[in-house]
Amino acid sequence: MNSRLGSQRLSLGFNSFSGLYLLALFIVVFGIWTPHLFLTLATVQSVASQQATTAMLAIAVLIPIAAGAYDLSVGATINLSTIICVWLQTVRGWSMWPAIAVAVIACVVVGIVNGFVIVRLRVNSFIATLGMGSIITAVQDIVSGQNQPTPPTATSWTNLTQLNVAGFQIIVLYLLVLALIVWWALDHTPSGRYLYAIGGNPEASRLAGVAVGRYTWSAMIASATVAGIAGVFYASQTGPSLTFGAGLLLPAFAAVFLGSTQIKPGRFNLWGTMLAIYVLAVGVKGLQLITGVQWLAEMFNGVALVGAVSFALWRQRRAEGRAVRRTDDPVPEAAARGPSPAKDAEPVPSGAGDG
Amino acid sequence: MARGVLSPMRERDTVMEPRPVLRIRRLTKSFAGTAALADFQLDIEPGEVHALVGENGSGKSTVIKILAGYHRPDPGGTVEIGGMPLPFGSAPAAHEMGCRFVHQDLGLVLQLPVTDNLYLNSGFVSRFGTIRGAQTRRQASELLSRVGLDVDPRAPLGSLSLAQRTGVALARALEGEDHRQVKLLVLDEPTATLPENEVHHLLDMVRRVAADGVAVLYVSHRLDEIFQVADNVTILRDGHRVSTVPVSSLDKRRLIALLVGDELGELPSPETSRGGGGAAALSVHGLHGPGVAGVTFRAGPGEILGFAGITGSGRESLLGTVFGALPRLGGVIEAGGRLLPPHDPRAAIAAGLAYLPPDRKTTGAMMGLSARENLSICRLRSVRSGPVLRGKAERAEALQWFDRLAVRPPRAIDNQLATFSGGNQQKVLFAKWLRLSPQVFLLDEPTQGVDVGTKGELHRQLLAAAAAGSAVVVSSSDLEELVALCHRVLVLRAGRVAAEFVSSSVTTANISRASLGEQEVVAS
Repeated sequence: MNSRLGSQRLSLGFNSFSGLYLLALFIVVFGIWTPHLFLTLATVQSVASQQATTAMLAIAVLIPIAAGAYDLSVGATINLSTIICVWLQTVRGWSMWPAIAVAVIACVVVGIVNGFVIVRLRVNSFIATLGMGSIITAVQDIVSGQNQPTPPTATSWTNLTQLNVAGFQIIVLYLLVLALIVWWALDHTPSGRYLYAIGGNPEASRLAGVAVGRYTWSAMIASATVAGIAGVFYASQTGPSLTFGAGLLLPAFAAVFLGSTQIKPGRFNLWGTMLAIYVLAVGVKGLQLITGVQWLAEMFNGVALVGAVSFALWRQRRAEGRAVRRTDDPVPEAAARGPSPAKDAEPVPSGAGDG
Repeated sequence: MARGVLSPMRERDTVMEPRPVLRIRRLTKSFAGTAALADFQLDIEPGEVHALVGENGSGKSTVIKILAGYHRPDPGGTVEIGGMPLPFGSAPAAHEMGCRFVHQDLGLVLQLPVTDNLYLNSGFVSRFGTIRGAQTRRQASELLSRVGLDVDPRAPLGSLSLAQRTGVALARALEGEDHRQVKLLVLDEPTATLPENEVHHLLDMVRRVAADGVAVLYVSHRLDEIFQVADNVTILRDGHRVSTVPVSSLDKRRLIALLVGDELGELPSPETSRGGGGAAALSVHGLHGPGVAGVTFRAGPGEILGFAGITGSGRESLLGTVFGALPRLGGVIEAGGRLLPPHDPRAAIAAGLAYLPPDRKTTGAMMGLSARENLSICRLRSVRSGPVLRGKAERAEALQWFDRLAVRPPRAIDNQLATFSGGNQQKVLFAKWLRLSPQVFLLDEPTQGVDVGTKGELHRQLLAAAAAGSAVVVSSSDLEELVALCHRVLVLRAGRVAAEFVSSSVTTANISRASLGEQEVVAS
């Protein structure tokens, strides 16, 4: 491929930026179809702010998955944060900032426990966080008594996210700041490098002196913390709900996987994730303006996820096929033990298979 | 030389000579122009256990892989099974004709019961889609008794001893509607991972299978068991058949001479270590670990120390245990003036150790990350300022290492490591550790699966590292590599240091002999 030129990242090829092409296509198609509804600033503003909490939750998923750990409890965590924050204010009469602080701290604790179970008890992250999600939901029910608290009415509370900044809700700005911080941390600090190394091969990382346990644990805490913050914003923007978290979990994961085919293909990355969230949202928005059927968003998201990841894997396999033909090693007799062909024991390319 | 003295073995049965089950003629296989196997021939009669021996790379596995249908030989050779020509390159055809294989990796599932392991491949006895448990167990017991294995078929495989597990693999190989259809059983290093005291159990089973009329091709590095189980032995060297002789006409010394080649080479008594007095960069005392049963050695600055030994001798796990990749069960390791805690690579690196694991894919590298990221992962300190990575500094350093080790494609530091060829991946991993200027550089199979040119380059790097004052410790199954590199070679046998060779006495012949157990000299 373009190996001779060195960097694949900088190529504006279809591989890395198919999402942008798709976005352009959506804008053109829906723009022609319903120009008065679709091609408006209002559409941009509503899509941007509606997707902000989902995007934040996707960031929460992204951090541990870079290190190869799933956090399936983020859905329950974001919900817990919302309920605690609102419940403290309207039921307990707390003021806003202490309520927010307690909600976020509760989520940090969730992250610490997740990390403990995964790192110390060595439970597979998928199982640990699946169970944790269930436990958190139970705790939330205990706290709320399964009564949905009424939303706080203070303007400062709603202004927290809904303040108008150049036509956008301010939550969009928060998302941008969060995205920048996480991007910087993952791509430009040693900690981020270690996370990706662990995700790439935990044993090789351990042998290279990386503190695998410590970084995995930190990633779980970061994930839960981001989910907690997103939960506060959700409460302020949309109001409390006892069940919304579970519904956000899958879109967040979908965006992270889809994002691993974008910008830096084969790697879970921040801008790819953000691109995926918004390309899907634009597509769904456009379709909603054309037809009113309810199942559209789900169908569209599902087809896009499976389609895009299959496509990326196919491209990668083709590229690898070429790479194999290019290798110059003769078949080493002593190296190839036993006649069982190990051709399909290759690591799953494109980050889509294992996290 | 040997061929003249020992007459090639011929039939023992004079009256009714049975047709050989396996008959190989003029078999040749070349890889990229060099012959891994040249003009090979072999006959095995029903009920015969025929041992095939040779050093690594002598062509043993090529023979097995051709029989198994994994490799196609060069045109011209023939393989007959029971008088019928074997079609090449087809595993199902080999199976159909009655060839069965038991590999070192048995291919069994530890969690499943014995019966399931026996029938997973071939299908269970069932009626209307339901497995008939009682009947399956009865058949399983019958099958197990054919190899003389008396275990409960319902027991999970994991509860069996290693020899018993190998027995289950044997029994599975014999499984089939008609027991007669199994004609040839190939055992590839079946005892490599067995503890000494379980070997005889397995050999009993092998004898029993042969007594049933099956021809057995037995590949092993352990020469003792060849004398216990085999009728005849074929010796391979560099792809050529050196000799085929009845085992009864040999003794161990003679067999080793045939194997190693230079029969006249004297056996110099190993000298004592010259690095005994000076300050050691690494000193290991009484090390115990997986496969390692009390190893003591020192490596001095500037020294290249080699470890040799057959598979199962402890050679594969020694360096990993020293570094902390594998758990240490006992012993003291001192490096850079401090004691190393067990199983702690971070502490080892901090003490100036570096370790190149034998398997790039599983433990050596992050294949999905770029070459640059693999290069710098061990120490990001030098390429960061405060909490931020300095991309420019990191890139510059990576480019420098690419130049220094002539990595191909040049300057492709941002390409995924997986896209490089094996040799170039290995260069990147060398650079990853050389970058730390380690006091002690441990390398397991440093040039396995690497082309000749790269091998030379990697060797130059090791010599340079030693010249710069590192202690380099190489564990390798490639004896020529050890001879080319090492000032001193320790030979492991059964988890212990069995012999030591220094400077001029470091020869492949000496190392081979000591690995195979000719000398009983304990050094250090």
